[in-house]
Amino acid sequence: MQDKGNVFLKLTLFAIAAIAIGFFLFTISEIVKLVIIASLLAYILDPLANIMESRGISRTSATVAIFTGIVLLSVVSYFVLLPLLSGEIKSLKSGFGPEQTGAMVSRLEEFLVTNLSFIGVREMNIAGKLQGAMAHTGDWILSHIADAASLVTSMILIPFIVFFLLKDGREFKKAFVTLVPNRYFEFTLYLLYKLDTQVGNYLRGQFIDAAIIGLLAFCALWFIGIKYYFLIGVFTGFANLIPYFGPLAGALLATFLSILQTGGLEMALYVILAFTIIKLIDDALVQPVVVARSVDMNPLTVLLAILVGGKLFGVLGMLLSVPVTGFIKVVIHESIVNYRKYRTI
Amino acid sequence: MMNKFWGNIFRNRQRQADEIDALLAKIPVFQDLNKREIMMVKRILHQREYRENEVVFQEGEVGLGMYIIVKGQVRIVCGPGEQVLAELKDGDFFGELSLLNDAPRSASAVTQSPCTMLCFFKPELLDIINRTPKLGCKILFRLAWAIGERLISTNQQLSELSCTVPEA
Repeated sequence: MQDKGNVFLKLTLFAIAAIAIGFFLFTISEIVKLVIIASLLAYILDPLANIMESRGISRTSATVAIFTGIVLLSVVSYFVLLPLLSGEIKSLKSGFGPEQTGAMVSRLEEFLVTNLSFIGVREMNIAGKLQGAMAHTGDWILSHIADAASLVTSMILIPFIVFFLLKDGREFKKAFVTLVPNRYFEFTLYLLYKLDTQVGNYLRGQFIDAAIIGLLAFCALWFIGIKYYFLIGVFTGFANLIPYFGPLAGALLATFLSILQTGGLEMALYVILAFTIIKLIDDALVQPVVVARSVDMNPLTVLLAILVGGKLFGVLGMLLSVPVTGFIKVVIHESIVNYRKYRTI
Repeated sequence: MMNKFWGNIFRNRQRQADEIDALLAKIPVFQDLNKREIMMVKRILHQREYRENEVVFQEGEVGLGMYIIVKGQVRIVCGPGEQVLAELKDGDFFGELSLLNDAPRSASAVTQSPCTMLCFFKPELLDIINRTPKLGCKILFRLAWAIGERLISTNQQLSELSCTVPEA
């Protein structure tokens, strides 16, 4: 009876502590967001630092070398890729030009009225609506990029945190383990080891997968002749970080823009075909090699994670929600699987 | 007065660090390492303090690595009757098999006095092999050697035992 009471007391205290920690983290959510982004980046970059260390370079020098590489890459991106991307966004914001838009929408409207009159499609006057929608899309993308760019503190703080996580990550982990009582010590280390392996592999796999799919989409759309191939390629790559819904979002955006560009369905069919082939390549060749299966999540979990992430942190939250949910899933799964092997509970 | 106070603290810490360096150099697993390599290993070891009669690990648990006794005594026991297999003291180490396999611990370790121990675990060994393969090879070779020595000793004990038992 007393044992039951103790367990209840422990569980109550644990629940109160969890709620208090959750509330505290929510109140400092901006900092938490920065730390999560920095941790994800540090996880992705960690193997690179390890490879350099195995070549005889010290950890500090390896970290400095990686950061020098990132700075050079950022400078190149700033001068080469950013003008291309911002040009495409500005072009999207202004629509396709009043004359082009008018002609294009007329063609699309004519096509729909001719072919779908049997289901009651008549004069729709969609030119104005579309123009507004496209300008809104451009505004939306610009405002979010402008938001990100204006967060000077983030731009300074994230690299700063990544640098120290990459350089002193082991010391941080060791310091954390020192605080754990002897009874939970080996179990904690074992759990951290499992998490490190599984979450690290998962995040690196997702990142490589997203980069490959983004590149494939970029090449395919450029080959087809879509006007905004670079913007859609980048969007597809990022969206691919979200399982199930991400690839679909990229394909929908590309199809929508191709219809607006040509006013017909011919190019849209090529786009759908290209995205189907990319998805097949992803499923058959890329994912089996680079993405760890251990953090597989069902579509409902992913959807809920995206909704919660979006509600709490906006677009960035939607992107981060899936890796963070993957991390939480591994923590819970490994804790349950391993706790019986130790005398912790 | 203040300088003397801080001086004493730093002298104590330095003495303790020197003692640990000397101890690690004597552990067979680290015997081939030079001073720089010993320092690298020391950085990844976890130092823990245990009270008297505290269970370090229990029979049947997943083993993660080895423990080196810096100060104190540890008893290795097994079975429901807690049969004593060995009594270990300063400079001894135990649990090294767990560095190489995932089998559950074959015995329990319980402290007999307040203990200071250094813990060397598999994730850290794998990390060393990954980052500094040369150092990793040295440790693995000495580890294999230490386990081989224990195997020879066990074989000897077994053959002595079989000689004393009359054939049926």
